[in-house]
Amino acid sequence: MSRYQQRAGPTMISPWLIGLVVLTLYPFAASFYWSFCRYDLLSRPRWVGWQNYGRLARELAEGGTFARALGNTAYYAVTCVTLSVVVGIGLAVMLSWRVRGKAIYRTLCFVPAVIPTVAASVLWMWLLDPHQGLVNGALESVHAPGQGWFKSTSAAVWPASWPDDHQGRIFGSKDGLVLMSLWGIGNLLIIYLAALADIPHQLYEVARLDGAGRFRQFWHVTLPLLTPVVFFNVVMGLIHSVQAFTQIYIVSDGQGDPAEATLTLSLHLFLAAFQDLDMGYASAMAWVLLVFVLLVTVWLFRTSRHWVHGGG
Amino acid sequence: MGPSTDNICGDKTQRDTGRPVPALAHLWLVLTTAAICIPLVWMVLTSLKGPQQIAAAPYAWWPSPWRWQNYLEAIAVIPFFRYLGNSILLCLGSVLGTLASCSLVAYGFSRLRWAGRDLLFGVLIATMLLPWQVTMIPRFLVIRELGLYDSLWALILPKFFGEAFYIFLLRQFFMTIPQEMIDVARVDGCSEMGVLWRVVLPLARPALATVALLEFIATWNDYGGPLLYLNDPDRFPLAYGLEQFVSSHSSETHLLLAASVIFTVPMVLLFLLTQRLFVRGIATTGIKG
Repeated sequence: MSRYQQRAGPTMISPWLIGLVVLTLYPFAASFYWSFCRYDLLSRPRWVGWQNYGRLARELAEGGTFARALGNTAYYAVTCVTLSVVVGIGLAVMLSWRVRGKAIYRTLCFVPAVIPTVAASVLWMWLLDPHQGLVNGALESVHAPGQGWFKSTSAAVWPASWPDDHQGRIFGSKDGLVLMSLWGIGNLLIIYLAALADIPHQLYEVARLDGAGRFRQFWHVTLPLLTPVVFFNVVMGLIHSVQAFTQIYIVSDGQGDPAEATLTLSLHLFLAAFQDLDMGYASAMAWVLLVFVLLVTVWLFRTSRHWVHGGG
Repeated sequence: MGPSTDNICGDKTQRDTGRPVPALAHLWLVLTTAAICIPLVWMVLTSLKGPQQIAAAPYAWWPSPWRWQNYLEAIAVIPFFRYLGNSILLCLGSVLGTLASCSLVAYGFSRLRWAGRDLLFGVLIATMLLPWQVTMIPRFLVIRELGLYDSLWALILPKFFGEAFYIFLLRQFFMTIPQEMIDVARVDGCSEMGVLWRVVLPLARPALATVALLEFIATWNDYGGPLLYLNDPDRFPLAYGLEQFVSSHSSETHLLLAASVIFTVPMVLLFLLTQRLFVRGIATTGIKG
């Protein structure tokens, strides 16, 4: 370690270091401080102790807006991530089959991932229109009930949210968002395809000699060897979907419509800050979000030793 | 992850391990791919229909007549070229800032030894996991204090301070460059900047291209940034201007979809032309965007 390098190193990373202090560390500290303040941007922040957190706790206990935002966020993140594992692996396995024109299928399945979020949101709002949309049209043509999608507060995985006389109309706005996110799953496909290609060929030969069919090869060879990648994707997917904003803002008219069914933490926080100018409350929510993400990540790492191949 | 996936259509580079699948499975693959592509086909076809045909039942797939003038009308109705100009300025500024700052920082983190390096690199990784909501409000006020609110600089300037994800990606690549090449340049009297400029950057061209591509696409698509920092419609980029157009012309589906197609096509073309770079960026580092 030369003295020259000791000087040159910090100099070269200085742009990032300045950015770290001004655009990350200072904001990090300031938002923590403001979460204990009342602050409307117009007057100076005023210390109010635990008041903002108290309000969050109260709303949580009484099933207020914050409780709904937390529930919506959890629903969206868990559904997205779970389905992305199933759909991602399923599609990647199909795309690794030896068929003529494999390259074309791979390219076509990836294309939705490069569609700008704004354009994809606008497109899906039309596709999922309850009356004229293509998706309901397709459902009705096979005599399935059309769904409410972005106009409905129902959530398919949460029976308590179904309307009383739903008659099979159970998919609502959050499910529409999940569908949209699954459509743009291309990045995950690339990662799963890479992982599939890295599985040693010989393992399948051994399994075949042992008399394993396609299904058992998948279950006993492919799936266990994919678990480290699945783990990585679940952690990143959760962190990512908890922070999702643009598509939610657009399909919910910037308000979490209908009836706060798509009001996630990130949207609620944004509105509290820049619509209500309630910076203290918004900052407190940001810190709850951070703790929430940390807890889930730690929990995932702890459980990983039970299901991740060679993990722990 | 391995180099076997440099190409999404990796038939040439990739060992073909699977056995041929039954015809029924192939059919299933075709149907799934078709289902994934139908929304895009629908978007393009509908953008070529007239308003009456869109509202008419029963639903017809083919436009009749084909209204190519939808595209001209859409461009005329929204201030298209102004938005496009803003988008291009943002993309150029962001790509330039990102390349300059991230390559410098990545070099400092990969090819120089200094006390505190690994600790700071740990901090860099940690910032990648920090939700943007935590720093959003004070960051907004910092930008405002700098007098950048409602200026494109609000979105460009932060890019000159590096972004953790790209620094990480470039560092991974810089570490694969043989130490001897760097040593030779140093013995020849190159300063560290000289080594970076003459040895490392030319060798790292594919990685730099990946970073430029990902940053270009991220900036082109960015909606949250303009929403937060821009107020004057004259400064809106396409991503934000298009959505504003949606909210004020919600009845004119044909124009809206034509505008969306114009906005989307460059990204699809860029992807088709640069698949290798694209896939390498994602496969070597995991997730982006």
